[in-house]
Formats: sequence, C-alpha cells, structure tokens
Amino acid sequence: MKVTQVAGFLGCGKTTLLLKLSRLLAENGKRKVALIVNEIGEIPVDGKIIEESGMRVKDIGGGCICCEVAVSFGKTLVMLYRDFRPDHILVEPTGVAIPHQVKSAAKMGMRDAKLTVGVAIVLFDATRPAELLDMDMLGRLVINQVQDADVLAISKVDAVDDATRAEVSKRIREFNDRADVIYLSSFTGEGIEALKEVILNWGEDTA
Amino acid sequence: MIDFNRDEKGCYTDHGVSGYAVAVKLSRREMMGDEFVRNTAEEMMLAIAEKCSELGARTIGHIKSHVRTESGTIKADTIGVLHGAYSSGKFLYPVKDLYMAINSVVHGIPEEAVKAATLEGIHEIAEKYRMTVVREKEHAYFDEFDFVLPPQNGFHLLEAQFAGEDFEDDI
Repeated sequence: MKVTQVAGFLGCGKTTLLLKLSRLLAENGKRKVALIVNEIGEIPVDGKIIEESGMRVKDIGGGCICCEVAVSFGKTLVMLYRDFRPDHILVEPTGVAIPHQVKSAAKMGMRDAKLTVGVAIVLFDATRPAELLDMDMLGRLVINQVQDADVLAISKVDAVDDATRAEVSKRIREFNDRADVIYLSSFTGEGIEALKEVILNWGEDTA
Repeated sequence: MIDFNRDEKGCYTDHGVSGYAVAVKLSRREMMGDEFVRNTAEEMMLAIAEKCSELGARTIGHIKSHVRTESGTIKADTIGVLHGAYSSGKFLYPVKDLYMAINSVVHGIPEEAVKAATLEGIHEIAEKYRMTVVREKEHAYFDEFDFVLPPQNGFHLLEAQFAGEDFEDDI
C-alpha cells in the first residue's frame, strides 16, 4: 500500500486533481485506490465531491493531519489497510499542511500496516504566484510547502500563457531546485498522466 | 537556492487561518434549473469573499460549496473576487428545494467574522433571487448517509431528517 500526498495551498486545485488522478490510477479496477481528505472546516465539502465519483473516501476533521490529528491519520491508514487493502492511498491534506510533517504522520501507520510513503506532490497555483509567495505570514508557509515537494505541479496552466508558466517555474525553483516540475491542468488533462507515472514509479521510502 | 525556516508548523490556527462551515436548505416557489443554481452559487461564493475582505481578510483561501438536490448536484467555489468563481454539475430536471454545504476558509480574520460574512452572503444572494433559507445547520451537514447513493435516495433521507427534531446544532 503506497501512500501519496497531493498537497498545496488552499484553492490550488487539489480536489479536482484527485478526482481525475484517482480514476486514472485505478485504471478500470486494475488497482484499488482509496482517498483520505483532511479539510479545514467542519463540513467536508471536498469529501462529498469526491464521494460522488464512487471512490472510497475517508474524511478526517478536527485539525491538520500534519500536526493536531496526526495520530488519527495513522489510525485511518491502518484501518484502510485492514478493511480495504488498497494498492494506493491518495491523501489530500489541508491547504496549510507541511508535506514533510504529513510524511512523518503517515509513518505512524507503518507498525500495523504494510505501507510505503510515496511521493509528495505539491501543487502551486499558476494564476496567483505573487499573491501566494508574498502573503504576509502565509507566504512563508507556501514556501515551506514548495521546499518539501518531491514533485512540483504548477496547476491551472490552462489559464495562463507560456511566459507566465516559465516565470512561475523560475520563481518556485528558487526555493526547490531538486524537485521535478510538471505543468498541470485538471481542466485539459495536461500533466495528469505524468503524475500517475511518478506515483507508480516512485521508490519506496521505509526510513 | 533560498534557504528558509523549516520549523514552521502546519497548524492552520497558528497561521491565522479560520474556517466556518454551514449547511442550508434553500427553497424557491419557482423552479430552479441547473444554470440558475450554478449562477446563484457562484454569486454567493463571491459575495462571501467580498464580505470577508471588507471585514479585513488578508487572503481568501478557498470558499467552496456543494449543492445537493433530488435532480443532481452542483459545486461552486472561489479563491477570491478578482479570480472570479467557478462551478460545475448538472440537474436532470428543475427543482424547488436544494441543500447546500458551504465551507469558507480565510486568512486574517477570526472565525466569528468568517461566520458573519458567510451567513450574510448566503442570505443576501438568496433574497436577491427570491429563495427562502428554510433551515441552517452549523458545523455539520444534515446527513450521515452514504453519498454514493443515487441523488433521489439521499434527498429523501434529508427530507426524513427534517421531519424529526434532531436539530440540536441549529443556529
């Protein structure tokens, strides 16, 4: 069971991507895929949207899985392993979660479930780079998310021109020059197949 | 490469991010088609975002909604007025009643302010389009049923809940 997170700031397109990525990854029943959604706010709107697609979804509320409810996250992974035995779990943390902390929380489930921690995909919204990086207080958080990415997916590229794509890529590379960069549009489908391949081929991390 | 503080915690309350969620039942005498509901939901998202900004929000994180009816579902969201709103979903046929879950996540104002902006935005747009806010339920959705049920089944379960008295969390 491989646990992959799709992180990134609020409103960057995580849920929309998960809807498409999970179907692609499942490949008409070839693989069992489950999703864990952690949302700010006590009504899991994202979870309801994903559930409509017929995917197995588990909502975790009451705080961030990267800190406040990390233990619940670990237990949920174990529960899914025991009850559903998925090949892949896709995790959508809150928009303010720190990816390396989500990875640490996932490792709590390793004692009771045979799992590996997969790639940390971090989405970055191409339509508002300055707004995100220069935000008072939260700009630092977004930069930390970018720094933690194994793969940086520049999202909503259908809404910007080629020059903006390149500029956004350049800006976030200032903070993370080791991650692969993928241009992503959940609207046109650009980049989703590439992300699927990354998830499938990402090396096991059992540290 | 720019190095940065890696001790930053991820807890959203530490960063001044507040969330407020509410579920509402909206009714209208005239039938509502999917295009009407999509436009109304988009306008509601933008009204909430605008009111949050007026109350001092530094950033609109994500204001999102999910509409359920016996005829189908619709979702609508915005990341800020300047970015506009987006919606998707279809109905099989026009309806008079709908259930809407709204989650507003905003940076820079306390939860009470997010709550005020959210409720004002809902009521303002509902009134504009002659919709009645029949019921509000704070912090939780109306149901616990499985959302993979066909829309008609889920809708009847919601109606059944309204027949009961289980509304301790009502505003």
